[in-house]
Amino acid sequence: MTQIYALIDTLLPFDWTEFSYMKNALLAILLITPLFGLVGTMVVNNKMSFFSDALGHSALTGIAIGVLLGTDNYLLSMMGFALVFALGISAVIGSGVSSSDTIISVFSSVGMALGIVILSATGGFAKYSAYLIGDILTVQPEEILMLLVILVAVVLVWIFLFNKFMLSSINADLASSKNIPVNLLQNLFMIIIAVLVTATIKWVGILIINSLLVLPAAAARNLARSMRSYHFWSIGISMFSGISGLIFSYYAGTAAGGTIVLVAAVIFFLSFFISRHTERA
Amino acid sequence: MKHFLRKSLAAMLAAMLILTGFSGCVRQPQTKPSFRIVASFYPMYIMAINITNGIKDVQVDNMAGQHTGCLHDYQLQSSDMQAISQADVFLINGAGMESFMEKVTRQLPKLRVLDSSNGVPRIQDESGEVNPHMWVSISSYMVQLQNVAAGLEKADPLHAKQYRANADTYLQKLSDLRRRMHEAIDTLPNRNIITFHEAFPYFAEEFHLNIVQTIQREPDSQPSAKELAETIRIIRKSGVKAVFTEPQYQQSSAHIVAQESGATVYTLDPAVTGPDDVNAYLDAMEQNLKTLQKALR
Repeated sequence: MTQIYALIDTLLPFDWTEFSYMKNALLAILLITPLFGLVGTMVVNNKMSFFSDALGHSALTGIAIGVLLGTDNYLLSMMGFALVFALGISAVIGSGVSSSDTIISVFSSVGMALGIVILSATGGFAKYSAYLIGDILTVQPEEILMLLVILVAVVLVWIFLFNKFMLSSINADLASSKNIPVNLLQNLFMIIIAVLVTATIKWVGILIINSLLVLPAAAARNLARSMRSYHFWSIGISMFSGISGLIFSYYAGTAAGGTIVLVAAVIFFLSFFISRHTERA
Repeated sequence: MKHFLRKSLAAMLAAMLILTGFSGCVRQPQTKPSFRIVASFYPMYIMAINITNGIKDVQVDNMAGQHTGCLHDYQLQSSDMQAISQADVFLINGAGMESFMEKVTRQLPKLRVLDSSNGVPRIQDESGEVNPHMWVSISSYMVQLQNVAAGLEKADPLHAKQYRANADTYLQKLSDLRRRMHEAIDTLPNRNIITFHEAFPYFAEEFHLNIVQTIQREPDSQPSAKELAETIRIIRKSGVKAVFTEPQYQQSSAHIVAQESGATVYTLDPAVTGPDDVNAYLDAMEQNLKTLQKALR
């Protein structure tokens, strides 16, 4: 870690990298934003942005379960609950009773409401409100290592399974006729989102985690001309918003998470006007 | 079949509605207390159980409960409303701590609201807002105690003598503690401290401590990167040795500040949560005394 810090000091000899909490935050953002950019492409393609939002809300119940179990580390309880939650949504959607956006809203409300009821039962909800906004500045070196592991795992999944993911999202019938396990892939993708969302929620916050997942990919879709460039744009925009948002928040004294999302939103609107302009031309 | 299921669901919902209606009548206390006090939050509750100590037919309730802490974002529950509407006296800290309760108390014109903060010297922040955490100073707490005792004597003349006697005993304990704390703290060499959340200005004034900086004024918001950096620079320059957090709030940012600046993190308790015990306030202050002796050496 000291070597990485030294490297950052040499490469970026600025005011904002003086303290190690900013270095940690920078490293965390360098790992989180490509993850969000990458997974976001598929979330936007598969029209699953509601789904990832619901998973974010479920984190509140996950924390509440952790509190009930008496653990200090809520990561496992959040992740466990989010997995059950994701598979539950997937199963109910699969049964075809209501449309998927209705079902997701139902689950999302349950996740949020159950969390609020349990956490405020003892009157101490204020303790957990940090999770609503998140705080990237409190990230610790061992947590950065965990993010690195997740990033590597997701990239590996992407390299090996992207084509199958893509085919099953475009045409599920064609995919299953080619012996691609469509449901299994769908569930695997939901698990990836669940792990990603719950692992990062402490730093990004329940209220804005979905924006970070959706905005860069949505902007990239306006600009990209191929699947490959879609991915590059999405990861690029995500990283750019993350880093510039962090630096801006340091000098302006604003909340880091919100600033990052605002940068991404500005880029989205720019991309929107650019794509309209090029369509007309 | 489906039709049957649907009908039974409707029947179930109706049954639940009726049952909840009934359960409202079931909750009656066995013996009716002659006088009911509802305290708004923990410090007021501890004060009230001291004043009513040993009096059998006076009931004291704690509205916010033992774990809430300050009432910054307290969510009123319907059981609270029920307790308040049945109370003879609603005991509040005042000075803005219970500002959200004004709407409630206005609806209950018969309710006697006892404001403990009358005559306590106020501390304002730069923006002119009154800091309500006055009970953290023992001297202010004693004035509040006098106010509450006087108010209760007036509201419930039947028990006035006992209230007075209990209040005097508690006052004696508090003033002993205050003397001992002054003896121990006044001689400590370091006087500069950094605190999180604005609970300690009254305490600092009492013991002539100098709060160099307060980080994270509202406990549920996170300090920005800029604020952290400024704080770290202030600590490095001024040589402050101790950063104080509260047991009620998460302290990750305090540890960041401490790590970067070389200061140590200690816990000071504003006695805003704790056990259901008459000596809770005294014990919390004893603990603070020990902490300060260690931190400011």
